[in-house]
Amino acid sequence: MKLFKAILLLFIFISPLKANTIYNLIKIPNLEIYEIKTKNKLKYFFAASSFRLGVKKNIVCLNPSKEDLDLKYKTIYKNLDKYSYSYLKKINLKYIVLCENLSISGINTAGIPDNVMKTLILDINFNENFFERVIHHEVFHIINDQYNELFEKTEWIKFNNSKFKYAECSTCTEKLGLETYKNTKGFFSEYSKSTASEDMAEVYSHMIFLSQKDINKIKKKDPVLNKKISYIENKIKEIDNSFTF
Amino acid sequence: MIKKIKPSKSEKIILIFLILLGSITFGTFFIIKNKCLFVKKYDPKNINFKNPTNIAVLNVPCGNVIIELYPEISPNGVNRFKKLIRSNAYDNVAFHRVIKDKLVQAGDLEFGKKGNLNYGKIGTGKSGLGTIKSEIDNVFNYTKGSVGLARSFKNDTEDSQFFIILQDEPLYEGEYTPLGKVLYGLKALKKIKSQRHSEYILRPDFINSFKMLK
Repeated sequence: MKLFKAILLLFIFISPLKANTIYNLIKIPNLEIYEIKTKNKLKYFFAASSFRLGVKKNIVCLNPSKEDLDLKYKTIYKNLDKYSYSYLKKINLKYIVLCENLSISGINTAGIPDNVMKTLILDINFNENFFERVIHHEVFHIINDQYNELFEKTEWIKFNNSKFKYAECSTCTEKLGLETYKNTKGFFSEYSKSTASEDMAEVYSHMIFLSQKDINKIKKKDPVLNKKISYIENKIKEIDNSFTF
Repeated sequence: MIKKIKPSKSEKIILIFLILLGSITFGTFFIIKNKCLFVKKYDPKNINFKNPTNIAVLNVPCGNVIIELYPEISPNGVNRFKKLIRSNAYDNVAFHRVIKDKLVQAGDLEFGKKGNLNYGKIGTGKSGLGTIKSEIDNVFNYTKGSVGLARSFKNDTEDSQFFIILQDEPLYEGEYTPLGKVLYGLKALKKIKSQRHSEYILRPDFINSFKMLK
């Protein structure tokens, strides 16, 4: 019992100092270190208690349970470990924040990328079926924000059928399904049809997640996706020539 | 014959009170007021260094702080730092940002000089030498006493401001350009004036001098 009290006291005395440092670095309150000694130097934090962000405090995320955190961390680490330190440096991603039930203005979301703060906030309770792929989807948003001028939306739109129109924004549509289509017809998922940047993120995440064999099959079968895949591949090569999908 | 008079109980209490009051007054004026009283003084002349060309001596109100610089980890950063030290640019510059037992920061050459302090702009001043690129790829453990170059919100904005951490800060690795580590005199840094509710210091302590040993 005494040992427990001593550890608890040590935890109380140490934690706020660490939390202050984290806040100074990425401006998110109530975080603590989960893991910082990683091969690609990504630093993982978790929400020790819930936090609110944004000018209107409209971004909300809750603190996860230790069991959930330990379980999901392994999956997240496995996926993000695919990226080298040099690649992460180029795309400006350094910090991963793990929390639960992430939402913006009441709308649940898998992740919130912030390339300025080099941070990706991930909801560890996001739909199990798509969780791993969605991690890469959010990584693409970091890349897109960092190299905004590289990913030309007008050029991208031309790949689609001329009659097709994206929605005004990703939340201005009901097209939110993340299930991968069996018959792709130019789009990997329903969510791909929401906006050009979500479409790009879906293509990127599938390129990371699916095997090269499956990607080659899709490229042969679907001429629109063939163009989109080649486009993303070339742009990523421009950022880091050594990167392989 | 003089008759011995025994002091009454209340007289004894007054006497004890006066002794206590005297002790507190003495303590306040001569012990507590002197914040440097228990700080060990280091003279670099009495210490042997492996590489004296990388030793810098920072003199602060409570004595010398002896720093070893690591040009092999951050060649450009250390080069800039040495250049500024050799030109005595840091002399009489304020420790404008101090977080008690955590960090001291100085080196604003434009708005942090003694006699020319600008409280509205301190922390934003430049050296006139331009900014340098961040050197954050090499392995460096930001343990207590580590010295690093401060920067603005963005990378590659390092100039003349530097900080010394007073506790381990593992998250600083890969974030700030390391310059070196304090070998002796960390306690003198812990005595630098801080404020309870603000990181930025009103009437701050100053660097007396900052010199390279050789």
